[in-house]
Amino acid sequence: MIEVSTDWYLTLAAILFSIGFIGMMIRRNALIMFMCIELMLNSVNLTFITASKHFGTIEGQISVFFVLVVAAAEVVVGLAIIVSIFKKQSSASVDLLRTSRG
Amino acid sequence: MDNLLLVIIFLPLLTAIGIKIISNLVNELLLNYLTINSALLSFATACGMFGLLLADKFKPIHLELFTWIPSPEILFEFTLDGLSGIMMLLVTGLSVIIQIFSTSYMSKDSNYSKYFIYFNVFVFSMLLLVMSGNFLVMFFGWELVGLSSYLLISFWSKKQSAAKAGNKAFILNRIGDFGFLVGLMLTLNTFGTFNYEEVFSEVLNGNRESLSIIVICFIIGAFGKSAQFPLFSWLPDAMEGPTPASALIHAATMVTAGVFMLVRISPILQFSETGKLIIITAGLLTALIAAFSAINQDDIKKVLAYSTISQLGFMFIAIGSGAYVAAIFHLVTHAFFKALLFLGAGAVIHEMHHEQNIHKMGNLKTKMPITAAMMGIGTLAISGIPPLAGFWSKDEILASTFANGGFYYGYWALSLLAAFMTAFYMGRHWLLIFHKETGNDISQVHEAPKAMVRPLIVLGIFSLFIGFINTPFFHGLEKVLEETLHYVEITHLPEGITLIILALVSIGAGFTGLLLAYLIYIVDILSYFKIKIPLKEEIKELSSNTLYLNKFGEIIFVKGMKSFSRKTAVVVDGLLIDGLVNKISSLFYNSSQKFSRSQNGFVRSYVVYFGFFMLLLIGLFIATPWLLN
Repeated sequence: MIEVSTDWYLTLAAILFSIGFIGMMIRRNALIMFMCIELMLNSVNLTFITASKHFGTIEGQISVFFVLVVAAAEVVVGLAIIVSIFKKQSSASVDLLRTSRG
Repeated sequence: MDNLLLVIIFLPLLTAIGIKIISNLVNELLLNYLTINSALLSFATACGMFGLLLADKFKPIHLELFTWIPSPEILFEFTLDGLSGIMMLLVTGLSVIIQIFSTSYMSKDSNYSKYFIYFNVFVFSMLLLVMSGNFLVMFFGWELVGLSSYLLISFWSKKQSAAKAGNKAFILNRIGDFGFLVGLMLTLNTFGTFNYEEVFSEVLNGNRESLSIIVICFIIGAFGKSAQFPLFSWLPDAMEGPTPASALIHAATMVTAGVFMLVRISPILQFSETGKLIIITAGLLTALIAAFSAINQDDIKKVLAYSTISQLGFMFIAIGSGAYVAAIFHLVTHAFFKALLFLGAGAVIHEMHHEQNIHKMGNLKTKMPITAAMMGIGTLAISGIPPLAGFWSKDEILASTFANGGFYYGYWALSLLAAFMTAFYMGRHWLLIFHKETGNDISQVHEAPKAMVRPLIVLGIFSLFIGFINTPFFHGLEKVLEETLHYVEITHLPEGITLIILALVSIGAGFTGLLLAYLIYIVDILSYFKIKIPLKEEIKELSSNTLYLNKFGEIIFVKGMKSFSRKTAVVVDGLLIDGLVNKISSLFYNSSQKFSRSQNGFVRSYVVYFGFFMLLLIGLFIATPWLLN
């Protein structure tokens, strides 16, 4: 029987974070990028909980609640922005939003 | 009583301000009353003060007005001694006479009141200069004199040439003023005071450190103001101004400021052999060059201008040979006969309807007998014919130069040549204007109005008799200046038979000059005897162009300065300073262009930057403990 150690959780978190980060880099659709951000946030949450379990302390779990609350608030604002972008150009592609380039 | 000095000095300034205020309200006549009466009051007060001075055996009167600069303590002070007393009488007296002349000469001029404002400002500045009690007050007057002379030269500023002449005078005077200013700084640095008496007593007590350089600086100042070689070319151009102003400023008083200043500093000057040598050499050169140039001038005023320069040269010769009294004596006599000649020229110009070419005149003595007679007196006086004024002073200068012996014999001989040339060109001047039958139409010419003729007569009388204030038999001027020149070594005249021979020689030079002028220009012996002067045309060209010194100066200084400043503008300003500034700005511009490309608006590129720097930060975290160890 293979023991599921702390390393496994951390590796999973790293893989999830990388998927999220690479998604951020290569996708243009604002909704997909938003999902990537959520993925990265949750991978960090996983790291927190792993660390909490590993050290037998509670601070990591408290941090997770904070992250969840912030993420929820962020979803509200972020989705509103995405909807207004979609309304403006009938596409959610962020590449069309290059007006602030140098 | 001493406060009366302030009346003499500041009355002209108040008059100028008064004229400015009322000029729009009154007519010319009332304005004349104001300015002439105030000049008369100033002159009368000056006479009174001079009388007091005489009664007190010329003991200097000091008047301290206020503390100008607290540390080092410099007062705004005035001194009245024999020297400034004479200058004071001269300035105020001539101011009265010339203002009376001006009322007629300048009448109907559109800037009538402006002329008298400038004139009074000039008189004020000149009085400030001569009555100053220390070097700084003198410099104050010195600069004001330069300013008012500039204003009067370019009085008819609508004329291009007048405006240019004013600029030239001002700029050439600047060169001299620069020397004066450096001299002032050195004086303050060496002696710690500007007061004449304190400086002189320091020098007499043996503090003669850097004396020569101070003296040379003051000499440069005197050269600028008194139009000595090489700074003389502004004076002929200054004849663009109104003729009465030329008479007062560029003949009688302002140009003698340099002579006055050198006599004032004579207690210092006597210890500097180099300084005296520079003065006498420059004076001689000036006297010769100016006399040579005067021979071929065609403008009635330019002849007189060159003759002024030449006579100033004589005064410098006197100072250089240590005959300070003779210098002041010549200054006084010259002031009278030169003012007379200038005013006479003014009367002629006025009657000839502003024609100034002497070849277009001729035989004017039939039409203007009084003017001709008075100009004749002036001509004889300047030529050194006894017993007129010029003889006594010029002979005293020549004899004093001779009395020094040694190489001064050479200076004496060359001065005699200059005196001979003076008689020659002045004879030519008078004969061509008043005597020669030229066939020019002069039927419209009349005697000048009374307001012009009367001042001429007064000056004519003075030119006849002013010489008697200091003769070998009566040392009047010497007594006046005795207190001022108390500690100064003065060259005395030779005694007895030598003096008589010297006098006869200089009289001979004067007579020969006049006679030669008569023979050449009236009898025309040159064509009668078919004498051919070798290189005649070349000499004539050289003379009428003042040895091309003006052109030379223009090429070296004006053109040189222009090309230098142009090069400076291109190289230093254009390439160096502008280049540097432009380089720095383009550096920022170009780099910002490059960096702004990174802000390309693609969110994914920002994410990449973000990730890259996160990795860098993490790498740094990991590497830090390893690097620190």
